Amino acid sequence: MPRLSQNLTRAVTVFLSTTIAFSTLAYLAVMPRPREQFFQIYVLGETGRAERYYPSNNPDIRVGEVVRWRVGVANFMGSIQYVAIRVKLGNSTIETPDEANLVPSPAPVLLEFKKILMSDETWEFALIWAIKEIVVSGNVIAPTILDINGMNVRNGQVSALAGHNFRLFFELWTFDPQTNTFTFGWKTLKESRIAWLQLWFNATSSAVR
Amino acid sequence: MLKQAGSHHISSLSCRFLIVAAVLGAVALSYVITSSCIPTSTGSAQVTKEANEELKRAIIAVSEAEAAGAEERQLGVLVEQLNLVLSMIDESERSLLLGDVESATAKAQRSIEISKRAVMDAAKLRNEASQSAQYRKVLTLAVVPFVSLIVTVGVHYGWKWWHRREVDRLFGMEIKGIRDSEGKSNA
Repeated sequence: MPRLSQNLTRAVTVFLSTTIAFSTLAYLAVMPRPREQFFQIYVLGETGRAERYYPSNNPDIRVGEVVRWRVGVANFMGSIQYVAIRVKLGNSTIETPDEANLVPSPAPVLLEFKKILMSDETWEFALIWAIKEIVVSGNVIAPTILDINGMNVRNGQVSALAGHNFRLFFELWTFDPQTNTFTFGWKTLKESRIAWLQLWFNATSSAVR
Repeated sequence: MLKQAGSHHISSLSCRFLIVAAVLGAVALSYVITSSCIPTSTGSAQVTKEANEELKRAIIAVSEAEAAGAEERQLGVLVEQLNLVLSMIDESERSLLLGDVESATAKAQRSIEISKRAVMDAAKLRNEASQSAQYRKVLTLAVVPFVSLIVTVGVHYGWKWWHRREVDRLFGMEIKGIRDSEGKSNA
């Protein structure tokens, strides 16, 4: 009798221990693991690397001179995301996006590129642009028409002294299913974050140069 | 005679009124028909807006299917369709800007059709995925006590076998010890 009781105690102990161990394993297998949710955004030069952003490595862009960049977005949110890259034209005085308050730049939107991305998918597209027309008014230069990926885009607002220090902003916007609108940056369970880039250039005409 | 003339006057007036009403009715009818058949730029813009809304609905439906645990391959097919819709809406908006209202409307309507089909496919996928995910969870959790039982039985018999082996080894050592001592005494 004491032998049976000893066997039984041992069997119950083993059974309970293995049940706890296997339950833990089963729970880990069934439940999705939490992961960091974020996006990556990048702009590469004409070689597909972080170099040669301007023709002849000269940021003074003449009228008609073609600039070739590659813009990329990587989705590490762990789910399908509807994203938009808003390309904005600014000068040195226009405010940049506000990281603290998650406010986009007030610079005018030139163009918007949209795409629905799978989880862990990277979307890369060519951005080929040129200044098609500039207006010189005294010492102030304004690129009035830009050719972006074969489309004529008009700018009536942004100008710069001597055509120096223009910049193109690239802002990442995401579709928020709760509000049914695009919002600047993205939201996770813990926080809201933004991602943006800027590339500087000078707009020059042959005459001005 | 006077009465006859008066009644004749009234009947000619009502006749004219009827003709005018018929003409106005025909004009109104033709306006309604043409306005519904020929796409206008405002009508096309409305269709494009509707296409955008339908796309958003489809994205939400596909996201729900993904959250339910749908297969990545099937989700990939739906996402591809939605990207096609996106490009069609883009083309529609461009056509509208160029003044090609008819083409813009046609593209937007086609994109609405694809989005609606994607919503239905995503809903089906979501139901299937949530059902299979439920089965998988139940099966995984139900397997645990069985596996534990098998391990317990294995450990029990394994321990018994090991114990018997140890006891036998111990007895074997004793016999060997006795034989050794017997051998020494005989010598």
